Amino acid sequence: MSGAAALMSGTSVCVTGMGLVTSVGTTAAGVMDAMCEGRSGVAATPPDHPLTGSLEVGGFAPPIDPDSVLPRSETVVVDRYVVMVMQAAEDALADAGVVVGRDVDPFRTAVVISSTGGLSTLEAQVLAREARGRPGVSPYMLPGMLPNMGACRIAIKYGIRGYSSAIATACAAGAHSIGEGARLLRDGVADVVVCGCGEAPFFPTLVDTFRNARALAHGWKAEPGAASRPFDRRHNGMVLAEGAGVFVLERAAHADGRGAAGYADVVGWAATNDAHHPLMPDPEGEGAAQCMRLALADAGIGPREIGYVNAHGTSTKLGDQAEALAIRKAFGGYSPPVSATKAVTGHMLGASGMAEAAVTVLALRRGLLPPTHNLDDPDPACELDHVRKGPRRAEITHALSNSFGFGGHNVSVVFGRPSTRLARQV
Amino acid sequence: MSHEEIRAFLFKALSRLNYDTSRMDDDTVFGPAGADVESLALAELAVRVEDEFGVVFDDEEAEMMAAMTVGELCATVAERLQPASTQGH
Repeated sequence: MSGAAALMSGTSVCVTGMGLVTSVGTTAAGVMDAMCEGRSGVAATPPDHPLTGSLEVGGFAPPIDPDSVLPRSETVVVDRYVVMVMQAAEDALADAGVVVGRDVDPFRTAVVISSTGGLSTLEAQVLAREARGRPGVSPYMLPGMLPNMGACRIAIKYGIRGYSSAIATACAAGAHSIGEGARLLRDGVADVVVCGCGEAPFFPTLVDTFRNARALAHGWKAEPGAASRPFDRRHNGMVLAEGAGVFVLERAAHADGRGAAGYADVVGWAATNDAHHPLMPDPEGEGAAQCMRLALADAGIGPREIGYVNAHGTSTKLGDQAEALAIRKAFGGYSPPVSATKAVTGHMLGASGMAEAAVTVLALRRGLLPPTHNLDDPDPACELDHVRKGPRRAEITHALSNSFGFGGHNVSVVFGRPSTRLARQV
Repeated sequence: MSHEEIRAFLFKALSRLNYDTSRMDDDTVFGPAGADVESLALAELAVRVEDEFGVVFDDEEAEMMAAMTVGELCATVAERLQPASTQGH
């Protein structure tokens, strides 16, 4: 069922709760404000950090005590991605004010929580085995690190017993989780969906593979806040970051039934593949352009109805240029106002899609488009209507968020004003 | 290796697995009837005991650990250590 059909049939999908863990704050407003104020969360790697010497700068999220989100007996071996996404889920569910079992049938509640998985935990276990042989390997390794363990732990903690899954589409996985959540609600599989993504990439093997692939921003140690600069002439790589984000999506009619207010509707989404290269985007941007076109078609709107695009904007030359071209193609040569959140958060891999969706929702609701931090001198190959140097006031009806991932995965999500009787104040 | 030393090792290992051992004694059952040590923690405890004392639990024995008391496990380990100690002389 398309977004337009869902609206007609009364099964529109509303965001009723949001929770984030990022280097610039743990609320959607915190990330939005950081963008508007030009306040970066990117910092030099601390001197006592295990990655000192291999990682120049990063987006470090606040520490979270695993015992604060999980029973102590389950935190012996647990990856930081699980801990961060548990925190985001707790905040999102509290924000939505929904209690599974009280407000919604556990079997009508779904959980779609994605991740690349707890690879740092795997790395630590490999090293422990190398040092101590078989006894060094914990039986807790798999529950501590598998990519579906965010979904599992959230299901156990909140008694969610309906559809559950974890999506492995790399940096598109967060947005993909929102899309799958919307589909479940439109198709009548669930009344409430807890969806999101958590990523904890700060461990030596992963950092080194990014470095050796020449993917990381470099030369910014003295000026970490300037390292992530999507679409700027001096963009020279992504800034790795950790984080998590969870949304509570709900059929608008269900939210109305419990008197809950919505932030915004998920009115359309789409996913395509570049079918070009495992890591590099198609420089022609055709897969990404078609993804945006299909998302607009799903929403039943035309290109001119999009008042803001939150770009994937990784700060890599190739990625930014391909996305700029894709946006111009998708919008028929015209560019809606565009900005990129990664300039302040760094690149939280799949979890970026959640923070960026949250910013897109706030831009729509506040009528305020946040600028791209560090976009001092736009790359001529990234010609777009950039929002830069400060926020731009604009009353808009629809906004689109892009997320693209290794593997050629493209996901675009379109948000519109909430169709619930009550609208959340933002 | 004395019973007390084996028990001290078990309690130290359980503490590292985030279990409070202050109220455990020889009569405490590991499983739900007592300390409620969950299955993976028991699996890890078995591995640590095997590694520390050079004893081996087969799969069925490891599964039975939830029904054992702390004292029974200490006795089992001590019993298996005995022939090894004798051989050592």
